[in-house]
Amino acid sequence: MSETSSATAAGSASGAPPPEVTRLPPRQWVKENLFSSPFSSALTIVTSIVLLAIARALLSFIFNPIRQWNSTATNMQLFFTRAYPDEQYIRVWFSLAVIIVLTSISMAVWRAGSSIPLARLGRKLLAGAALLLLLALLAPFSASATIQWTLAAACVAVIGEGVRRSASKGGAERTVSSLTVLVVTLAGLVASLWVVPYGHHTYIPSRQPRVLAESGTVALTTKLPWTIMLLIAVAAYLMGGVIRERLPVNPTRITLLILWLLAPPVLIYLVLRDPSFDMGHVISTDLPIFAAYALGGSVILSWLTRPSTGEAGRILAVTILVVGFCTFLTPMRMVVRLDMLLLAIFALAAPTFAGGPRNRKRYVLGWLGVLGVMSWLITAINTPSTVSVPGGFFIGGFSITLMVAVFTIVLSFPLGIALALARTSTMPIFRLLATWFIEFVRGVPLITILIFFSIMVPLFLPRGMHLGEVAAVVIGYVLFSSAYLAENVRGGLQSVTRGQHEAADAVGMTTAQKTLFIVLPQGLRVAIPPLVGHCIGVFKETSLLAIIGVFDVLYIGRIVIPGQTEFMGSTKENLLFVSVIYWIFAYQMSKASQRLEQRTGLGER
Amino acid sequence: MTDMTPTEPTGNQTRDLSGARDMIVCENVSKWYGDFQALDGVSANIKEQEVVVVLGPSGSGKSTWIRCINRLEIHQEGRIVVDDVELTNDLRNIEKVRSEVGMVFQQFNLFPHLTILDNVTLAPIWVRKKPRAEAEAQAMALLERVGIPEQAQKYPGQLSGGQQQRVAIARALAMEPRIMLFDEPTSALDPEMIKEVLDVMKALALSGMTMMVVTHEMGFAKEVADRLFFMEGGQIVEQNTTEMFFSNPAEERTKLFLSQIL
Amino acid sequence: MTTASTTRERVSQRVPLWRDVIVLKWATQLFLLVAVLGTMWFLASQAGDNLRARNINTEFDFLERPVDIQISEGIDTHPDTGGRALWAAMVNTLRLSISGIFFASVLGVVVGLARLSDNWIVRRIATGWVEVLRNVPLLVQMVLIYSALTALPRVGLDTGPVNGWLHISNKGISMPRFFIADGFYQWAVVVLVGAVVGYFVRRHRQAVQDRTGAHASPPLWALGTVAAFGLIGLFVHPIFSWLGPVFGGVADVLDSIPNAVAQVVFAIISVGLAAAWIHRFISSRRSAIGHLSISDDDWFRIAFTALASLAVVVLIARWTGFSAWTLNSGRDLFEVMADKFDVNGAARPFDAMRPDIVQKGKFPNYGTNGLTMSLGFASVFFAVVFYTSAFIGENVRGGILAVPKGQTEAAKAVGLGRGQIIRHVVLPQALRVILPPTGNQYLNLTKNTSLAVAVGMSDMVQVGTTVFNQTGMTLPVVAIWMLFYLSCSLTISVIVNWFNVRMRLVER
Repeated sequence: MSETSSATAAGSASGAPPPEVTRLPPRQWVKENLFSSPFSSALTIVTSIVLLAIARALLSFIFNPIRQWNSTATNMQLFFTRAYPDEQYIRVWFSLAVIIVLTSISMAVWRAGSSIPLARLGRKLLAGAALLLLLALLAPFSASATIQWTLAAACVAVIGEGVRRSASKGGAERTVSSLTVLVVTLAGLVASLWVVPYGHHTYIPSRQPRVLAESGTVALTTKLPWTIMLLIAVAAYLMGGVIRERLPVNPTRITLLILWLLAPPVLIYLVLRDPSFDMGHVISTDLPIFAAYALGGSVILSWLTRPSTGEAGRILAVTILVVGFCTFLTPMRMVVRLDMLLLAIFALAAPTFAGGPRNRKRYVLGWLGVLGVMSWLITAINTPSTVSVPGGFFIGGFSITLMVAVFTIVLSFPLGIALALARTSTMPIFRLLATWFIEFVRGVPLITILIFFSIMVPLFLPRGMHLGEVAAVVIGYVLFSSAYLAENVRGGLQSVTRGQHEAADAVGMTTAQKTLFIVLPQGLRVAIPPLVGHCIGVFKETSLLAIIGVFDVLYIGRIVIPGQTEFMGSTKENLLFVSVIYWIFAYQMSKASQRLEQRTGLGER
Repeated sequence: MTDMTPTEPTGNQTRDLSGARDMIVCENVSKWYGDFQALDGVSANIKEQEVVVVLGPSGSGKSTWIRCINRLEIHQEGRIVVDDVELTNDLRNIEKVRSEVGMVFQQFNLFPHLTILDNVTLAPIWVRKKPRAEAEAQAMALLERVGIPEQAQKYPGQLSGGQQQRVAIARALAMEPRIMLFDEPTSALDPEMIKEVLDVMKALALSGMTMMVVTHEMGFAKEVADRLFFMEGGQIVEQNTTEMFFSNPAEERTKLFLSQIL
Repeated sequence: MTTASTTRERVSQRVPLWRDVIVLKWATQLFLLVAVLGTMWFLASQAGDNLRARNINTEFDFLERPVDIQISEGIDTHPDTGGRALWAAMVNTLRLSISGIFFASVLGVVVGLARLSDNWIVRRIATGWVEVLRNVPLLVQMVLIYSALTALPRVGLDTGPVNGWLHISNKGISMPRFFIADGFYQWAVVVLVGAVVGYFVRRHRQAVQDRTGAHASPPLWALGTVAAFGLIGLFVHPIFSWLGPVFGGVADVLDSIPNAVAQVVFAIISVGLAAAWIHRFISSRRSAIGHLSISDDDWFRIAFTALASLAVVVLIARWTGFSAWTLNSGRDLFEVMADKFDVNGAARPFDAMRPDIVQKGKFPNYGTNGLTMSLGFASVFFAVVFYTSAFIGENVRGGILAVPKGQTEAAKAVGLGRGQIIRHVVLPQALRVILPPTGNQYLNLTKNTSLAVAVGMSDMVQVGTTVFNQTGMTLPVVAIWMLFYLSCSLTISVIVNWFNVRMRLVER
């Protein structure tokens, strides 16, 4: 019964923490873990000395007065959004707010977070205090700085000890939600923006001197938005709690997932890019095409989804597909061709979803929704932006890193699943094509694919059609990522037993229904851990865009800022900062995936 | 005509089904796996409402035969006609046969990611295109019939083997089949759970369902079966009425098998 | 109510085409095939039009035309042709990959064992190592290491941690070089002979062990034989100098074969192989009593093989360049071999040199004597080694944890020692788990060396980019890249698979 155990665990979704290991008294612990044998003792002493020496070297590098850390502080805006214009910066904050609201509501609806025993929290704080103290002693500080850091360490230690004491008060073990800890930490960070004199740094290219560095707290344009963001996050979480209690679970979750899927294109192409729609063109061309497809498609699909429509429906669907391919042979608007292919896909899938009036209505509505989003996206992408940014894409830095990662992951999912299905299919030509594609792509390095696409995509396009470099690179990256993703999904698909296939066949399901309702749900669930790992990999490898010359966070940290006359040779500082950004995100993602694995019991099959 | 209405009780006394029409017709069915011949010219007719039990040592081709009947395996020679529909490469025929023949597996093969209710309603909704409410009402009635309506919202992993097999029977019945195939339905069960499954199968037989059962449960065969088939080496060695089969087997190999198993 | 006889009459044997599952299945596949090929044709014709419009032709003759490229290090720093430049770059990439794989494996095993150590500090350090390195992009690590290395002191005439032996400066790292010299090829033949002898010695010792039951240690004997041959070969290798003229003769024979003969031979080989495969396939589908059952998928395989062999024949007939190229490169190979064996008797198989520093003009720089690693090479090397060691460490840890505790206990119970337990019980089982993902890491490492382009080290990608920037030959260069990396991947997977199979044998 091993195949059913994971479903049970996932169904109950208990987030119980693992049982606490019994703790040894300190002396015995030291003896067992550090000095258990002569070899171990020698190892402890040698490694401690080496570690302290390395820490000392690293700290004297970081806190060396010749370090140009103000190059990082001054160029913070460049790091995250590159040259996005100040007067439209509210759009960036709005996008961030949308993401935060969605995150908070999702966390509430999916009941994220776990409970941490207060005793453990206290111990972690004490360990943190010890680290701070070590830092204060090792770093090449002036006397006053040493005292300040020591005081900070003492404060943390006092808080930690207090938490630890309060944990043992009363009989039962007291716990605190991990989300509370998170909010308190974030609130502390935001409050420090108002209190601690980090200094006010900006880089203004239009002014002499271009670098502004004043003492005091950070600029109002930094601390005010972040405070608002924190408040929005808390408010959204509370709202999410209300939604969870009041609304039915599954529709809420599906709505949230759709919103998550829609958020990246909407935020990037509508909010951040701010296209200036040419209403005349929209009304004369885009709307009629949309209306024609919406109307014609709805009629065709509502006929195709009737259970009584037999093979005639399939013949019609194939005809639409052939017509869709034929449109590429004659000059025509790209929208018309793409819409035709989309309609063909819907028509081919229609018999699978055929049913009563409710099913048919839902299917037609789905068609209208997808068609609407696609038409609007194509129109928006083809409309010039009002945001004027010198050179390159309109955003850059960390936002383009995130954008490329999100688009690549989202787009490579359907392609990767299709490839995995083709590779496990019973049809030899499908298998052959999928295998060749996957093995070929996996055999070559990503950078060659990116270079190839950035050079070749403009050549592949018909004359008169243009595609930005970022888009070209994303296409290459999607193909690359989908090959790896397909292998992960294939592993999951192969774990679905033969009996499941046979049971689905025996009740008369078509291949499409079997795949959609039986094989994919089970296979993808098994494939979650490697898929999350793959997503982290995609995020990390967006750094390769810097080689192509895209202004991503690495390019800015390595080329742009050290190229500013004021900050010549500040490469090391900025690269260190970039690695810290990447590390924080990747580490948090991998930790989250480990928690997810424990929660669903996926790792223990 | 409905197959759900109970007819006169069948017991181990032989029913007269000579007037009934043929539900399953097999003529010279053969199948190879590479060099291994799994079926060797199997011919048999099974009448409407008849309950047939297939016996034989393991590897004798019982399961292969029964799986050929709803085309989980494809026979290579001969003909199989189910309810006047021949099993060919015709898409329409395959769909028709699959939806008219229910199958119960040795390993239950319930869908672990779906609740019991969803397991039962999935096919009626998406294959028979029934409205959800109607399908759920029917599913609850079926779960009642197999005796586990209170488990409807649980997942298969939370049920015992016997309960799972009863759900599997309900899932097959939800497609309103005219024929039910059972492929060693009790082999993977603990002894104390076998009875609850056999009881459901007996009730089903009493209701007049055409049934073909591969099993090692001799008690069930004696009590319910109209006819018995004995297979060995991919061939039907002997087919006879239940009474004759146990009391007076014609073939030497059948005698040997019965002496080993009884 | 119908009877059986009427049933038979009612059923029609003819299945309409659009309802036949086999027809539908193959129609769908052919449709997809046509769609894919059509898309590719569409894109290719677009690209062809665009390239013609820009006056770019795609030929491989740039390989023989002069280019102006400076290679950072390796066998040739000022190559005269594009082909030579790519060749030097390939050697650099291979050097990086092979040395990287070796050191990453060693470090990875250390990290993995440290993760399982009893010592708290060692465990925490290893965990920190893994968590930091895995979660920072490799490219970021690489450029960080590069920028740190640029802070090294300048090179001077009498510098280095060990002057004359090891120099570390902002020009890179220079150390003594150990290299194969003129006599190497003859020596290699001696060792080859030794290997053949060793094989028979091993078989003999195995037989002795099986017969007497005494510990005859066959592998040790075999190894000893090969080593003895290697040692003796250092002095007697000139005895194989007669091979030079032999190879020269083979080259002459290859040169005199007309192209048409080679074409016919290749065509026969292609068709023969396909026919043999089809024959074997059909007989494997035949049952013991001679019943032939071939499914539609089997037909596809047969048809595909036949078509593929025909395509090869057509290709050989139409594209005479291929067979000519094969003949020429065969001839070249044997000429080179003849050259290599044509040395005087005093040549040594191996030689070594110490690094030197020369001053040309104003600044001193490393000479060509030592093994010099440029900063780019060093940063790529350290980055891929550190990065991959984190992943290999996790594989090693997982593999060791995957051996059930009961195994060790059982081994202790039958009285095996600690070393014996590790050698005979833990390692064989752990390696089975460790090897496949580690093979993947080797593949990744090889592909990751392509990031060298970011730190200006002359690897395949960097030199290729320079070549197509100078000549405009994007497509051919990309094709060479793909071919090179695909063959690297293939080689590594073949080696790893071979080990995997051996591991499975060990298990039984």
